[in-house]
Amino acid sequence: MNFEPIENGQYNIGHICSTLQCSRGLAGKTAMRWIDAGGSCSDYTFADLDGESNRFANLLKGLGIEPGDVFFTFLPKMPEQFFAFLGALKAQAICGTLFSNFGDEALLDRLGDSRAKGVITKKSLYKKIARVRSRLPDLQFVILVDGESGADGVLGLGSLLAAASKEYVTPRTPAELPSVLHYTSGSTGKPKGVLHRHGSILSQTMTTREVLGLKPDDTFWCTADQGWVTGTSYGIIGPWSLGVTQVHYGGTYDARKWMELLASEKITVWYSAPTALRMLMREDEEIFRSSELSTLRHIFSVGEPLNPEVIHWARRLLNHDIFDTWFQTETGAIMITNRPGVEIRPGSMGKPVPGIEPAVLGDDGTELPAGEQGNLCLKPGWPSMFVTYLNNDTVYQQKFKHGYYHTGDTAVRDADGHFWFMGRSDDVINTAGHLVSPFEVESALLEVEEVAESGVIGVPDELLFEKVMAYVQLHDRYTPSRELELKIRLHVSNRASSVATPQEIIFCDSIPKNKSGKIMRRVLKAMYLGQDPGDTSTLEI
Amino acid sequence: MTTMETLNGIFRMVFDDDSIQIERQMTANDIDGWDSLSHVNLITAVEGKFKIRFTQKELLTLKNVGDLLDHIERKAA
Repeated sequence: MNFEPIENGQYNIGHICSTLQCSRGLAGKTAMRWIDAGGSCSDYTFADLDGESNRFANLLKGLGIEPGDVFFTFLPKMPEQFFAFLGALKAQAICGTLFSNFGDEALLDRLGDSRAKGVITKKSLYKKIARVRSRLPDLQFVILVDGESGADGVLGLGSLLAAASKEYVTPRTPAELPSVLHYTSGSTGKPKGVLHRHGSILSQTMTTREVLGLKPDDTFWCTADQGWVTGTSYGIIGPWSLGVTQVHYGGTYDARKWMELLASEKITVWYSAPTALRMLMREDEEIFRSSELSTLRHIFSVGEPLNPEVIHWARRLLNHDIFDTWFQTETGAIMITNRPGVEIRPGSMGKPVPGIEPAVLGDDGTELPAGEQGNLCLKPGWPSMFVTYLNNDTVYQQKFKHGYYHTGDTAVRDADGHFWFMGRSDDVINTAGHLVSPFEVESALLEVEEVAESGVIGVPDELLFEKVMAYVQLHDRYTPSRELELKIRLHVSNRASSVATPQEIIFCDSIPKNKSGKIMRRVLKAMYLGQDPGDTSTLEI
Repeated sequence: MTTMETLNGIFRMVFDDDSIQIERQMTANDIDGWDSLSHVNLITAVEGKFKIRFTQKELLTLKNVGDLLDHIERKAA
């Protein structure tokens, strides 16, 4: 596949993923086979993708969206999400995507920090925005895919689309223009808005071609939700920038259904996540023995380290290797990876993508020799490197030290150049491939009337890689109960998200803190794991 | 209050949506936010409200609201 996506200096992601594909003769080719939860299929050609995204670009312009304005999708996986995303980018807006299970506090943080001007959602999700709407003075309109226009800038999509033309000429967009916005969790403070630029498409196109190995006749299925970076970089941009057909499925996890889809849709390349693959491992083996996967060429995985057992399981039951890939919201595209043709060392992250220069550095910035654990860092300058943390450039600058971008992960490089993930250098929890900030969970916990203090950590979990675990100290007048535990769980689910919900809660008499009041999560983790907590000289309980 | 009505109240509480009206054939695909993690909340709430316990094997056999309802009624009987 020799096609290069940049013509005449046009870097616009929305244009490249639709209009350009039409102009190179793919207008009639299926861009997306949409399969809803009930199993009904709808095919959208690249001409459809172009026309529908053009209508979104026009309607957003009509609503006053200007280049650089922030617009969000807050939808479960559905066709309108893809059209709106590409349309917003064509209009040169910054398009953010919100995971549909976010609670109202999570929405407030993201819509508020970005000063979002508009959002598209559905009626059943809008109630979460409505609760915080009065605290979002910049939010001018909310488009409902299944509703009618009403008060407070609520607009029905049907009437907007009816008035919007399918013709739109995307302005020439330089590589530097901001494009996609995803929020990510840190160990302290509120989530940070990771801002990308249209030029990031170069990395996404290259890795889709060179790592995932997509070819023109492939049918690709990426199971990631569009609320996360994998869902946009590889569930939208990478494949469509190369004119590759994608399958998108609107249902939830279901092993039999997934295997049926792989077979019936003749998926050739499948990109999923270790947690999903581990869930499949728990299913009846007969499901896989009876599956017809003759068209499937490759399986890839991303999100958290892929344990060797999964690779061995896939070799035995699916007759395939699984190639683990590593990247972050900040990197925008795959940086280190296993891939076909290169020996898999089960459990390893693999080797760098061409053009990417990782290094394992000590805290003083010196490069560590093979076999020594240190900070996983990347030489800056790849096309999809994030351009800033929105409204937080100071923290952005702090990520670059000693001439490298510091990922926050720790790793080891072996003598043959394979990288091995060792953990995080901060307290961020990686659960089911999602980064969760302990601070965010603790903040939500403190909103529960009965809770006096809390300390949240990630602990190893067979299915989720890490699970969110909360130590909770109650006010003296309350006592632990199952009802209270449920109340706490639901509060976090509905304020933050289901992903952030503590999977285990331990009620305790006090939370260990140091003399400056910082929660000693290291001590909590050691307590939980039955390990030596190390130096506790600064501890003040 | 019937078991179905009580269960409907639990769904509304867990998924934070007062408009939910469950039916026997409904699955996770029919309710926004019903994912594998919020499913744990649902089961915890059901177990607490009806004072029952599900085994892992039982949980794996639950395919829709009707299955859940049948298990609750059998265990609570």
